[in-house]
Amino acid sequence: MNLTELLENSARQWPDKTAFLEDTTEISYAQLVEKISAFAEKLKTLQLGTGARVGLAYPNGVNYVALTYALWKNNFVVVPVPTECPPEEISEIATEMELSAILFPKALAQTEPLTPEIFVSRFLLATPADNHGLNIAFIRFTSGTTNARKGVVLAHETIRDRVLAANKAFQISEHDTVIWCLPMAHHFLITIVLYLNVGATVVLARHVTAKPFLEATNKWRGTVLYAAPFHFSLLARDNSPAQIESVRLAVSTTCALPQEVAAQFHKRFGKSLLPALGIIELGLVALNSEDPQGRWNSVGKPIPDFQVKIVSPDEHGVGEVDVRGPGICDAYAAPWQSRENLLRDGWFVTGDLGRFDDDGFLFLLSRKTAVINLAGRKVFPEEIEAVLDKHPSIKESRVFGRVHPHLGEVVEAEIVLNAPGASIENLSHYCREHLASYKIPTRFHTVQTLPRTAVTGKLIRATATT
Amino acid sequence: MIQASEIETELLAFLRRDIFSPDTNLTPETDLVGAGFDSMSLVKTLLHVEQKFGKWIPEGEITGDALANTRALAATVARILNES
Repeated sequence: MNLTELLENSARQWPDKTAFLEDTTEISYAQLVEKISAFAEKLKTLQLGTGARVGLAYPNGVNYVALTYALWKNNFVVVPVPTECPPEEISEIATEMELSAILFPKALAQTEPLTPEIFVSRFLLATPADNHGLNIAFIRFTSGTTNARKGVVLAHETIRDRVLAANKAFQISEHDTVIWCLPMAHHFLITIVLYLNVGATVVLARHVTAKPFLEATNKWRGTVLYAAPFHFSLLARDNSPAQIESVRLAVSTTCALPQEVAAQFHKRFGKSLLPALGIIELGLVALNSEDPQGRWNSVGKPIPDFQVKIVSPDEHGVGEVDVRGPGICDAYAAPWQSRENLLRDGWFVTGDLGRFDDDGFLFLLSRKTAVINLAGRKVFPEEIEAVLDKHPSIKESRVFGRVHPHLGEVVEAEIVLNAPGASIENLSHYCREHLASYKIPTRFHTVQTLPRTAVTGKLIRATATT
Repeated sequence: MIQASEIETELLAFLRRDIFSPDTNLTPETDLVGAGFDSMSLVKTLLHVEQKFGKWIPEGEITGDALANTRALAATVARILNES
């Protein structure tokens, strides 16, 4: 199967329904499918071959969505590339993910125009990327224990399964209007693909401040908000009389939802933010829709079709969280590791520590995966550490998220210098050359040593600290 | 008492260095949102102000008017810093 078929089904069912609203532009489901077909024809001329991996370095917008589906229509693999990445990082991604091309919205060095809105940079691969016979749709970065950056591989069927499973919890339908503000390069599958699968309307809110966001919500009668703590914090602190009566579902994408933000949002709008547990390898695992006020620090109960078990619990019931359910990723791309090798007796080992309470609510106590969520952007410590460790004055480093009362988390780093007094004056400049701006640590702490386990000497990953 | 002009100079240097591409000709009057200032830019700017001046600017204070340009943003930041 191909995910474009799901969208084409929606277009047959709701041809005239608005799929996207962006500023003053509205595009119906039928028009979206037409746009995708036109882009797909253009992309065909690249003659990349089935299964070629193509980077997409586009900002949010209808073109981002249409290009993703157009690439799928040609049976290419979509690899999102955040637009903030500096050229050096883009070139690393291209090599590691074995990209055949990257699409950009404007002319850059070594790009050629495909249309006035698509510019392509092509790479000659000695051998085409090996997809191991899988019908791959998507490769999304995450960080690994051996590599700074590895790709989570998702087949078309896998994405369909996780979208269907997630919507058993969200219950989004053609009657919903989603107010969208997150970067699509970081959030796309159990969100945009899901919304388009059920005929919902998506309003692309470009706005940076609360007022226009609230105006858009009320103008278009938004029913679903899906955002990061930062966005909810912005809304909660708005001091106008505006309410958001039409909203029925407000989901916070990170479990590091500060209590202050949740409480302020509830006080301001009389609505609860629902904490959710999403894992790149699994999709949506749990959603706290039952008791977000009383158990604000719980990610809720596992969604239907998902099972969560606590392995080797201690006397307090705390143990490792293992998960199984539909839509588990098919492989890791770099180096290739098949799904069978990722699972332990059919269960995905998250590495997180957690416990259930007597009513079946899941509480996460520490995250081994260590992904930091900065205002909706996912930041992987290993990727930043790999860059810091190459700095001539730095021996080793450890990157972690620090809990911030308004943002959820911010990125900070501990560094061990090669020699006392080694110069790190140019560290910020060095980081800007090698890392997307949102990944650059806000603070650097010079330390003597990093904590390592006694037996294996592995770096002990810090959980978000306050 | 911190002068708005001092904050404007600091913000302009920060925005030129960390937010906008080198080919953006940023002046104190440049429309920030029009030049591509987005929610992540706001996060980084608020963090920078917090780190530099020791105070978090409440997000509710960041209105469309405050983001009209760097001069307006500096005036808002100066007002809040001087209130405390």
